[in-house]
Amino acid sequence: MGDAGRVPRDPRRAVAGSLYTLLRTVDVAVEAQGLEREFKGAIKAVAGIDLAVDAGEVYGFLGPNGAGKTTTVRMLVTLLRPTGGRARVAGFDVARQPAQVRRRIGVALQEAALDLLMTGRELIELQATLHGIPKRAVRERGAELIERVGLSDAQDRRVGTYSGGMRRRLDLAMALIHEPAVLFLDEPTTGLDPASRLTLWEEVRRLKHEGTTVFLTTQYLEEADQLADRVGIIDSGKLVVEGTPSALKAQVGSPHLDVTLTSSDGAAAARQALGAFGQLRPPDAGCHVSVAVREGSSAIAPVVRALDEAGLEIASLELIEPTLDDVFLAKTGHHLEGEDAAEQGERDPYGEEAPLVQASADGHAPR
Amino acid sequence: MSENVRIVIALVRRALNEIARVPGAAIPGVLAPTIFMIGLSAVFGRAAHLSFYHATSFRTFIVPVGFLQGASFTGAATGVNLARDIEQGWFDRLLLSPTPRITLLAGLVASAAVRALMPASFLLAVAVLWGVHWPGLLALLLAAVLVMGLAAVMAFWGVTVALRARTQQAAPLMQIAGFIAVLFTTAYAPRQGLTGWLSTVSRINPVTHVLEGVRQGFTETLSWGQTWPALVSLAGLLVLFGALAVRSMLRTGVSA
Amino acid sequence: MRVTIALARRALRNSLRRPQLLAPMIIFPSLMLAVNVGGLSHTTTLPGFPRVHGFLDFQLAAAILQSLLLAGVQLGIAVALEIEGGFFDRLAAAPIPRVSIVLGRLLAGGVIAIAQVVYFLVAGLVFGAQIQAGAGGFALVVAIGAIAGTGFGAIGMVLALRAKNASMVQGIFPLVFVVLFISSAFFPRGLLSSPADAVAAYNPLSYIADGMRNPIIAAISPSAVLEGLAAAAAVALVASVLSVLALRGRLREA
Repeated sequence: MGDAGRVPRDPRRAVAGSLYTLLRTVDVAVEAQGLEREFKGAIKAVAGIDLAVDAGEVYGFLGPNGAGKTTTVRMLVTLLRPTGGRARVAGFDVARQPAQVRRRIGVALQEAALDLLMTGRELIELQATLHGIPKRAVRERGAELIERVGLSDAQDRRVGTYSGGMRRRLDLAMALIHEPAVLFLDEPTTGLDPASRLTLWEEVRRLKHEGTTVFLTTQYLEEADQLADRVGIIDSGKLVVEGTPSALKAQVGSPHLDVTLTSSDGAAAARQALGAFGQLRPPDAGCHVSVAVREGSSAIAPVVRALDEAGLEIASLELIEPTLDDVFLAKTGHHLEGEDAAEQGERDPYGEEAPLVQASADGHAPR
Repeated sequence: MSENVRIVIALVRRALNEIARVPGAAIPGVLAPTIFMIGLSAVFGRAAHLSFYHATSFRTFIVPVGFLQGASFTGAATGVNLARDIEQGWFDRLLLSPTPRITLLAGLVASAAVRALMPASFLLAVAVLWGVHWPGLLALLLAAVLVMGLAAVMAFWGVTVALRARTQQAAPLMQIAGFIAVLFTTAYAPRQGLTGWLSTVSRINPVTHVLEGVRQGFTETLSWGQTWPALVSLAGLLVLFGALAVRSMLRTGVSA
Repeated sequence: MRVTIALARRALRNSLRRPQLLAPMIIFPSLMLAVNVGGLSHTTTLPGFPRVHGFLDFQLAAAILQSLLLAGVQLGIAVALEIEGGFFDRLAAAPIPRVSIVLGRLLAGGVIAIAQVVYFLVAGLVFGAQIQAGAGGFALVVAIGAIAGTGFGAIGMVLALRAKNASMVQGIFPLVFVVLFISSAFFPRGLLSSPADAVAAYNPLSYIADGMRNPIIAAISPSAVLEGLAAAAAVALVASVLSVLALRGRLREA
């Protein structure tokens, strides 16, 4: 057979190799290579995406409306057949092994699709049945999840009477019914009030803590910044940049302090005092001084002291940090949240202040 | 009980749940065949004086049409409900479960078959109270099989249209097919009474055999000669429309 | 008047842009017509059936009436959808005479009704029917149909203004058949079974149907045509007044 020239394989090494491949496959929870989706009329909604999400990671998939986020997710969760490239989720090919993929993923799609005539408990039990959970375990598992998302009091009410936040939480509970390895959340907080948004964020953090991989699409910069270990930014169907939020922001610049003095007379002295902290930014008005501070917020106290020692009175002081929108702007040439939203800044993507206290989990709906 | 059967039952329960919780939405579908039966008998009742009705009252003659109309309405409604579920994203949830597509389809179709018994039962009760000949249990059993089968055929059609159009606006397309299938038969008169094109179409239309299969218990006694063409026609329709629906279902999203 | 015409044009344009909503009110009556004619043509030989050229000629008025009633339901659904979507409130808040909101819709309904009647008459002629009273008869059928269609539109409008949601108006659909079945639209009154024959005598639809049918199946009989015109006008007048009152009621509630 012509084996003379071949080194005989060590069976132990062969097993180790297979194990390595297996572990490697399982380590990567979501993997896409050149993933494409073209619709009728040669419209490429997704134009070749490569990404890899490690097991246990929260991956933020960020992009404006129409960027291709939902199309990508629909391909990864087997709702849409890719027209090019390949993708594996939980170790299985989405196009060739969709049933295995579905057994291992939980999905909460945009606009929580629920049957409004059913009660929360009925819905979650139906979902459990669809996932092949044995009859005996259906009730127990359903009750456990309903309690977890804080819907115990509302479980026997029709879903039609639930508030938006309650519906999303129920949707999340349904997505978790079969303890999926990978959870896909497609814009989970779009349209929610700030309190419900915070409750959902808390649940995502808890899931991460429990080791669930979360693939989170969002158009909200703050959400990605708060929750994601790594962020992939998509624009016009292409992944334009990927990395941890801090690394991405560091790529576009360092934080800087904007100082406004009570009088423009001290501007020169202030520039001199602040020059020691970092590079001064070009002056724009008489009483403003701006300096880059690599250390971020920890530079605030020394700066205040230095200005005080120089006998200068501060009217206001603001730490400006690079945002994911700056990253988006640098990579694509336009803002992520549109010109209007960008003016408001990423700290307030909902146009209102987030409450300092977290919402109670039981929520309430208009009857 | 196998997992798939449990899922089919769960889906049927969900469909029945809808009737129980919004009876107002279901009432027109349940009442319509009875309204048609009463209305048509009141209007065209004297037609039965024509010789080819062989002295059968028009209302007895028309009751089986109501059964099949109810089946066809219910089947089409399954398609419309699926289109609504697609529009509202609920269907995605079903597709995301590891349940085989065929099981999902079976759940939808089985719910149509079960629901079709509602308008039929109501119609039967009203008809019998109104003096229509009691056909006997065996004939009713056959009628139930044929009604459920036709509802399944129309549900297959409705599902096929819904999966293609993905909008409730396609509802007329789902309904008109049933309307044509049931009425382009010997619905209003025996074959000798039909004229021109309707005589030809009713001869080709396999639903004519299904209708005659239901009707035999009401107008005469059961005979194998009228039963087997009904069952064979229904089986053919089920295979044909079932294949179309399975094909559409397997083309939805990624399937394996 | 300008506002009414502008609103009518808008309603017409919207109807034409959604042919899927217009189609059922032509297709269903056409199919019913085909089935009735194919299945029950021999009934013209029954004693007491008027002398007719064919059963198709007799059934044309029934198909027209059915189509006009469905159009009325459709108009109601369109208005209910506008109420649900908030567009109706926008109109009500505009500095225009309130009555023009109702009249604009009804005018559009009348125009669509003319098109429906013409469609069925032309289709009938194509498939072998004859209009015994000639062109004048044709015009009379169109006139009665247009007035009746406007009236049915007004009924749809009243339902929409009272129900305020489209699915409730949609639920009226089976009722259309009930009122048709207890009229002489499909069969001569003398041949209807009891008690439908008695009820039909008081049903204005019987007179509208007979009024439209008369010029098709025979030389014009002034009494039948005048009764048809009067019944259609009465329905239109009463329903229009009710729809204006319903609009006022709705605006008062708002």
